[in-house]
Amino acid sequence: MTSIRMRCLVALLLLLGMGAGAPGAAFDGEKALYEAAKKEKELTWYTAHYNSETAAAICQGFEKKYPGVKCNYIRTTAQVAYQRLAQDQKAGIAQASVISSTDQGHYTKMKQDGWLQPYKPKNLTELVDAFRSFNDPDDLFVATAAGLVLITYNTSVVSPSEAPKKWTDLTDPKWKNKVSIGHPGFSGYVGTWVVQMRKLYGWDYFKKLELNKPRIGRSINDTVTMLNAKESIVAAGPSATTLESRAKGNPLAVVYPEDGAVLMVSASGILKNAPAPNAAKLFMEYLLSREGNEVMVQQHQDPVNKHVKPMAGGKSIAEIKTIRPTPAEIEKGIPEVKEQFRETFGI
Amino acid sequence: MKDRSLLVWLLLIALLLLLVINPLARLLWASFEHPETGAFTLGNYAAAYGRWRNVEALINSLVVGLAAAGLCIVFGVPMAWAVSRTDMPGKGLVWAAVLGTFIMPNYLGAVAWILMAGPNAGWLNRIYTGLTGAAAGPFNIYSKAGLVLVIACYSFPYMFVFTRSALDLISSEMEDAASTLGASALRTTLRVTLPLALPAIMGAFIVEFLEAIALFGAPALIALPARFQVMTTMLWQMFEFPPRLQVAAAYSMPLLLITVFLFWLQYRLIARKGFVSLTGKGGERRMVRLGPWRWVLLGYCLFVTSLSFFVPMVVVLQAAFAKAWGRGFGWDNLTLRNLRFVLFDQTATRAATVNTFVYAAAASVIALGLALAIAYIVARRLVPLGRALTYVAMAPFVIPGIVLAIGFYAAYTAKPLVLYGTAWILILAFATRFLPIAYTNSDASLRSINPELEDAARILGGSRVLALRRVVAPLLKRGLAGAFILVFIPATRELSSAIFLYTTGTQVLSVLLFDKSDEGNFEVLASMGLILVVGTVALVLAGFRLVGRDFLLRRTAS
Amino acid sequence: MSRLVLSEVSRRFGSVTAVDRFSLSLAQGEFVSLLGPSGCGKTTTLRMIAGFLPPSAGTIEMDGRTISAPGSTVPPEKRNMSMIFQSYAIWPNMTVAENVAFGLEVRRLPKAEVRARVDKILDVVQMGQLGGRYPQELSGGQQQRVALARAIVVQPAVLLLDEPLSNLDANLREEMRYEIRRLHDEFHITTVYVTHDQAEAMVTSDRIAVMHQGRIEQVDAPRALYARPRTRFVAGFIGRTNFLDGEARGEAIVFDRFEIPRRAFADPEALRGRLSFSLRPQSIVLHRQPPGGAGPAAVVPGAVTQRAYLGEHWDYTVRPAESALALRVTARPHEVFEVGENVWLELDPRQMAPLLPE
Repeated sequence: MTSIRMRCLVALLLLLGMGAGAPGAAFDGEKALYEAAKKEKELTWYTAHYNSETAAAICQGFEKKYPGVKCNYIRTTAQVAYQRLAQDQKAGIAQASVISSTDQGHYTKMKQDGWLQPYKPKNLTELVDAFRSFNDPDDLFVATAAGLVLITYNTSVVSPSEAPKKWTDLTDPKWKNKVSIGHPGFSGYVGTWVVQMRKLYGWDYFKKLELNKPRIGRSINDTVTMLNAKESIVAAGPSATTLESRAKGNPLAVVYPEDGAVLMVSASGILKNAPAPNAAKLFMEYLLSREGNEVMVQQHQDPVNKHVKPMAGGKSIAEIKTIRPTPAEIEKGIPEVKEQFRETFGI
Repeated sequence: MKDRSLLVWLLLIALLLLLVINPLARLLWASFEHPETGAFTLGNYAAAYGRWRNVEALINSLVVGLAAAGLCIVFGVPMAWAVSRTDMPGKGLVWAAVLGTFIMPNYLGAVAWILMAGPNAGWLNRIYTGLTGAAAGPFNIYSKAGLVLVIACYSFPYMFVFTRSALDLISSEMEDAASTLGASALRTTLRVTLPLALPAIMGAFIVEFLEAIALFGAPALIALPARFQVMTTMLWQMFEFPPRLQVAAAYSMPLLLITVFLFWLQYRLIARKGFVSLTGKGGERRMVRLGPWRWVLLGYCLFVTSLSFFVPMVVVLQAAFAKAWGRGFGWDNLTLRNLRFVLFDQTATRAATVNTFVYAAAASVIALGLALAIAYIVARRLVPLGRALTYVAMAPFVIPGIVLAIGFYAAYTAKPLVLYGTAWILILAFATRFLPIAYTNSDASLRSINPELEDAARILGGSRVLALRRVVAPLLKRGLAGAFILVFIPATRELSSAIFLYTTGTQVLSVLLFDKSDEGNFEVLASMGLILVVGTVALVLAGFRLVGRDFLLRRTAS
Repeated sequence: MSRLVLSEVSRRFGSVTAVDRFSLSLAQGEFVSLLGPSGCGKTTTLRMIAGFLPPSAGTIEMDGRTISAPGSTVPPEKRNMSMIFQSYAIWPNMTVAENVAFGLEVRRLPKAEVRARVDKILDVVQMGQLGGRYPQELSGGQQQRVALARAIVVQPAVLLLDEPLSNLDANLREEMRYEIRRLHDEFHITTVYVTHDQAEAMVTSDRIAVMHQGRIEQVDAPRALYARPRTRFVAGFIGRTNFLDGEARGEAIVFDRFEIPRRAFADPEALRGRLSFSLRPQSIVLHRQPPGGAGPAAVVPGAVTQRAYLGEHWDYTVRPAESALALRVTARPHEVFEVGENVWLELDPRQMAPLLPE
């Protein structure tokens, strides 16, 4: 028995203790959907929302709740996930049933190209209200994951008082050669963050940042490696992976910037050619469900179900100042900032 | 009264053409194809080379490739000479370390090197600043020089093997002839021994160059943070949203031309000089006595293999068994949690581990079987124009893995033959990619068998098939087991073609490792790398057991 | 009846003609050598007989059945022949006994018979104790004997040997020549033997076919070949010889500064125009005084220009008076002449073999 499973079990027991009548424990038509999903045996999920540990934990939680339906995940960055999907579509191969990208633009394109099928999850009623604006009016995709981009640092080199307090502090010359960021060409998280920074401070922000010669990784998660290696000591990093690494004992800490942590809300959708459409629907329900969100929280992810509280050590999204671009801004902005980013940083 | 086996040979030739020519033809076709209309266009070339950034990436690749290949000479040739022709002690250890280096994937090594030579916190820099009190250390892995070093570290084994087998064939009489004329040992080595091995060194140089420019893993990890692009990372980006297969095809064409040119050049250079002594029998060989210098040489060998194997392995082990690798060494930091996670909790790793070794083994069998058949067809002149088949079998050598993968992708995602989504596309891509290694070895093994042995079986009444089974196959067994390992090892760590061709259920460890490298979870990444390295070592050792020692760098006794 | 008949067999490799209209018949049980320098086409001919190479033109028949013709060739395994290779081609992955048994197993003989015949043939080639050895553990001569045993044990219709002794040292080579002939006398297998060594051919063969540039120059029994070579090439290739160029003028054949009466020759009527003769060194006798007595012999004065003592005989070079010729003469050990000494050469015109014009 692994610790992750153990923790899931504890969470489940706690839920049971709260009483069978707890809201959202089951949804209308769950049984029929589960039966149909069982006939499909397994589903494949392309996800860029989490790291593979979290993806694995979610799949395991799903399999536990719905025995007989196997959950396969392919965890990559958003661009790679989309690239995979595009390859599949072009080859006329139906592999994935559920796609979870972090790049808003992907959904618009997939919608345009008719790759998605509509489904309105019953559990949508439990979605944090603030995330509803990210749902597709035609029900082709709904918000299933939230995360924060915030300031992270290595506590063995930087004291809490020295640590940057707001985004503009990262351009302070004292962090020259010590800042780490991701690449919007790879990561949807980073792309959204860049769009938001541009919105707040103009592109000048990145020209100034460039003077500090930031270390640029691919994924936003690369900043965690950079901090752990002390290669960089401050970063624009993700809340979940950083807190998870901190929980293991790595000397990391997060700062909720005064000018606002960038809130990332990411959607998931069901593919039109999904080989397992019913399992996909069931899985969408799970991603929004209480159980599913308990698992996410165990993995230091921020919950999207309004009844689930975030884990100790991290703050609830409601408690902090968050900022975010609108879906339209993201969609329009990401291709632009990719190009600008390449101009400014040379890669 | 034709040979009944002729049909079999023709089928195998068809398979060869399918594997090698078809993807390349599709690639060429795609490069002239309009993405939407499918009409003929030069627009893809304009898109690929109309931007300075893309041209710059090409230049970067060439510069890094040349430098890395040069560094491979510096690393590999002295080691090969030391092991082949001197009385240096500890040859077994050096040999094992080279084998270890060969097994270690370059992207895993690159991650280890980031920890060792990161400009701010790399171990080497911390040791340097600790010793000198300087503000910053001199090492920066995030640079072209850093990339060159990492690439050279993980490709010099080819240089070592090529040079060593050439040196093994040079008779001491050649050196004696020079010493009787009054040349010193050093002079003899520099003027006689090494020049005789020159064709092998040149051949290896080209292989190293191609390996370096075709590499994807290490550049993706090092070049991007170092703020430059190379061809392969550029090609990769062309497959991002929105994917531009046609532009990628156009972009990879010059790479093909360059490599074809290089091989032509090598052919011309070697054809002009006589290197007959290399083809003759080894003759007697004596070891050069180095006196105290042999310890210096051993030191050099251990230095190089420390860079490539020992120290990176320490880094990987530390991280794999650490609760939090950022905390460094310490008893309280030890855990088996990471290994347990990748082995038991993460079902993907288990499946990928099985896939990795099964695909590598299947690809090795296919590559060897095909290579052997083609080498046989050529050697026995079973079909007209057989020699041309040699070029086809060697052609994948000049195709960078990532380009080959794009070709495979273009060829096998559409009718009539849809392989994408199955394990076969990976197995066949691996088999094609390493076909040249298999072919070179099969050809050499076959040549070492006197055709009269086969004739003798036939004239006594045995058919060709019986002669192959009773005589040729048993004699080839030993040599081919070595060739199998030489294909198997790179196939286990192949990333550049796998990354384009895998789908759910056909993931291999290299892909998983690469995906892991941007997740900020180095403990798990290192654990998976460890599984790959340990698994391969175990299989290679099992191979040793089966066919006897020293087959990787062997020289068959003649 | 002829067992093996080659008719006008040619073989071309690209633009090179390796074998040119080769015709030869072998009688049942006959031992014929193909003798010639390397590159003369003898091995190509042998490989065509074996069926490894189809001819470009011509046919090969065995017992009246065509086995090789352009475009249709019976494969080697269907010819009931066996062959001994230059490299011996002993399979290193099988023991001596397994090597020898191979051909019998292919012929699906019962196990007991295979063993009996293998034991017997190994005894014949004096390898009876070594059946369990691997080839690497044998000397060159022993490997040769294994190759012989393996080829003979299947009782082939034709036995082919391709320079089988060229890899042995001199003493062993001499021994094996007699061994090969002994085995032929014992088994009477029709045999084609390829060699470039005339002594080998002469020891082993009933007839020798001398090949040059893809063609047969002459086919004859060893003695006839030596005594009556028909071409300059054959005369020069088989043993040492002197070439004498002359011209028939009336009743005399005129050479450089001397002449010999026409009637002294074996076939006087055939001599016309410009002529060449081959005269063996031992067919010339040296004298201090002009030899007396009548006879067909021609006597020419001359002087010794060079000499070498070779133990079994003297090797003199003698120049007939005022002539540009330099004749090699073999003399017995006790016939001692000094360099510069004037001598009389006694030439036997009956032993002068007229050569076909080039």
